[in-house]
Amino acid sequence: MGALLPSVPLGGFTSRAPLSVVSGSGEMLRSLKGLVCHPRKLDHACALHTAARDCLSAIVTQDVQTPAERPRAVFYTSESDPAKHTEQHEGRHYSIPLEELKVVFPQGLPPRFQQQIKTFNEACLMVRKPALELFTYLKSSNFAHPAVRYLIYGEKGTGKTMTLCHVIHYCTKQGWLVLHIPDAHLWVKNCRQLLQSSYKKERIDQPLQAAAWLKNFKISNERFLKEIKTQRKYVWGKRESTEEGRPLGEVVEQGLARARIASDAVGVVLKEVRQHCQLGSFRLLVAVDGVNALWGRTTLKKEDKSPVSPEELTLVYNLRKMMMNNWSGGAVVATLSQTGSLFKPSSAYLPQELLGKEGFDALDPFVPIPVPNYSPMEFESCYRYYLDRKWLQHERARTEDGKEELRFLSGSNPRQLERLAAPL
Amino acid sequence: MAAAVGRVLRLGGCWSALALPGGLRAQMLRLIYTTTAVQRKNIGASGPEKYTEEFIKKQIEEFNLGKRHLANMMGEDPETFTQEDIDRAVAYLFPSGLFDKRARPMMKHPTEIFPEQRKIQWGEDGRPFHFLFYTGKQSYYSLMHETYEKLLNLQKYQDQLLAQDLPSQKEKRNLSGSRWLTKIELEEMLLEKLSDDDYSRFIQLLENMMTLPCGDAEEKYIQKFSKEVAVQLKKVDIEPLKYDERGVAFSTGEGARKTARATAVVYDKGTGKITVNGIDVLHYFPVLQDREQLLFPFQFLDRVGKHDMVCTVSGGGRSAQAGAIRLASAKALKSFVTEKEVEFLRQAGLLTYDPRVRERKKPGQEGARRKFTWKKR
Repeated sequence: MGALLPSVPLGGFTSRAPLSVVSGSGEMLRSLKGLVCHPRKLDHACALHTAARDCLSAIVTQDVQTPAERPRAVFYTSESDPAKHTEQHEGRHYSIPLEELKVVFPQGLPPRFQQQIKTFNEACLMVRKPALELFTYLKSSNFAHPAVRYLIYGEKGTGKTMTLCHVIHYCTKQGWLVLHIPDAHLWVKNCRQLLQSSYKKERIDQPLQAAAWLKNFKISNERFLKEIKTQRKYVWGKRESTEEGRPLGEVVEQGLARARIASDAVGVVLKEVRQHCQLGSFRLLVAVDGVNALWGRTTLKKEDKSPVSPEELTLVYNLRKMMMNNWSGGAVVATLSQTGSLFKPSSAYLPQELLGKEGFDALDPFVPIPVPNYSPMEFESCYRYYLDRKWLQHERARTEDGKEELRFLSGSNPRQLERLAAPL
Repeated sequence: MAAAVGRVLRLGGCWSALALPGGLRAQMLRLIYTTTAVQRKNIGASGPEKYTEEFIKKQIEEFNLGKRHLANMMGEDPETFTQEDIDRAVAYLFPSGLFDKRARPMMKHPTEIFPEQRKIQWGEDGRPFHFLFYTGKQSYYSLMHETYEKLLNLQKYQDQLLAQDLPSQKEKRNLSGSRWLTKIELEEMLLEKLSDDDYSRFIQLLENMMTLPCGDAEEKYIQKFSKEVAVQLKKVDIEPLKYDERGVAFSTGEGARKTARATAVVYDKGTGKITVNGIDVLHYFPVLQDREQLLFPFQFLDRVGKHDMVCTVSGGGRSAQAGAIRLASAKALKSFVTEKEVEFLRQAGLLTYDPRVRERKKPGQEGARRKFTWKKR
């Protein structure tokens, strides 16, 4: 652990911990099974930092303590299967192995979290109450009934998208087929190419977005693409068509190869998946982030400068059909998001405000799941995590006063805390 | 003859003694003659106009008469008409919208209006009255002379005490509550210009006198040259805590900054939750800087998560509102905290109203300070 020497702050300059140290400790953790729960504080870290002047003693304390229990257990749990997460694990972070990450979440993690993963070289998610609530609902739901719709809502930056990712991880581990739309707002704004649909005259295609989505869908659900077979013949153009009974992978390949028909390919995929799910061969999870985009307004314009309404977009139209509760054998988990939404005031966060009348009626019987700011325990846990990862380099940040200051200034809001901690 | 002389005189100019009849010569020689150029130089060198004693006396008589007339006009008793009554009457009769109080019409005793001036220092024969007149700064040197004499007396007295082996009395004088006269005040007292060196020498002399034990007469003499300084500490008043229906202690404070006005109610036994105008602080102040301003008083007293606060604020902009709430919360926190900490708060500047307001734009300039672009041609 001699590599810790440069990481010990001398003179209080702010710099990020060298990545080599972080990865070393991460590997050690994954190999250590059976962590003992210790209620005491991070004396280990304090000993390190007070002995900054005497580097030798730092190494000595480190060597003594490494083989023994690591106090990370206060905010950390080694349980990496979300299915086994219970209230006992509430407030703790669990890490997702990086290889799994690429398969489960090719898209969909918030950009700042992705940066954090790259910096810390591990993806740690906090187990929180809303996610646990959703797990109980999903475990106890009867899949013969029509799909229940769960709506995650809350103020800005409280962790709705992270909860959604947690749920997706759980479902993937359970073997469900996950239809994950990372941000529906991306489909209703800033689209460069709009093509008139060949299938229906009034609809408008979005080849770029559809192609991107198909690519990610392929990465995340490889094995299902081989299992599911098409139930009827689809004609793509004059010369291309997909016969009945072909694996769904072929449809996806067609969509990726020819951008013109990508949106229609998406529609086909959704329809097939829905039909197969009703037959009961697998469970389906439809996870949409920013679902209020489907019923709002768009910033897109047709060639004659008239505004486009969401129904006219193929992707949105097909997705709306998925959001209906006329199919069974799965669940729909959606997140409201004000951050990317168009024409909505920034203080709006309730479903009524963000969905509008049309959206609310469409989603009407849904289970609302509010996501609040950090509770004191969760805040403590997040703070300890940053401290342990040596993300907070300022001397004051390590004191109790510093913690109170952080708590006050961030208002226990996860996003504010993360932004505050970043330059420290 | 006389008419001819008069004509020449009216023409002015310098003229030498002409051949004139003997009878008039004696008169001629007594006349003073100068050229107009010399006349002008003399007027410039005379300095500020001197008020003669009769002039001042006349002004005082006029003032008293005017006072009686004014009392009659206002229907009051002339005998018991004080200066405050005069001020009120003048303000009523001559209302003025001028901002500077010194520019408004006033009626005061001539001694307050006309600055004190030195009377003529020499007699009819031209001999000065004071023996130190020819030093130039007669009052200053006479003052130094007197003070040094007193100092010598004190030293002699102390030597006597030491010779008699009596204990030297150490009297505690209040050094912190008084200060010496400033140079300007001393100049006003002596009616004479001083230099900085003279002033510092005088103060050194007084300091030397202070170190020696002195009797009552000397004390009175020294007190003529010292002034009281009011101590700041006694001005801060702390209100007692109030208790609401839940039994929780709370206190209120008001603050202002630029155009923003804020009131804050700080509750004890809280979790650090702050509400502004019914909205949570995170939503009302999305900028970190404003929240840091709110944090400052609590952090200074190490009470960050211990109090709840409910505030109302109006006016101003986002920074002004944050500053106003900061002042209000600091004032409210005074009641929760010991006196020593209140003094710390005061010294940290948390209890001071920030007088900075937007400066007015002046004509001929683009802004308050910015001038128009200067073009050489």
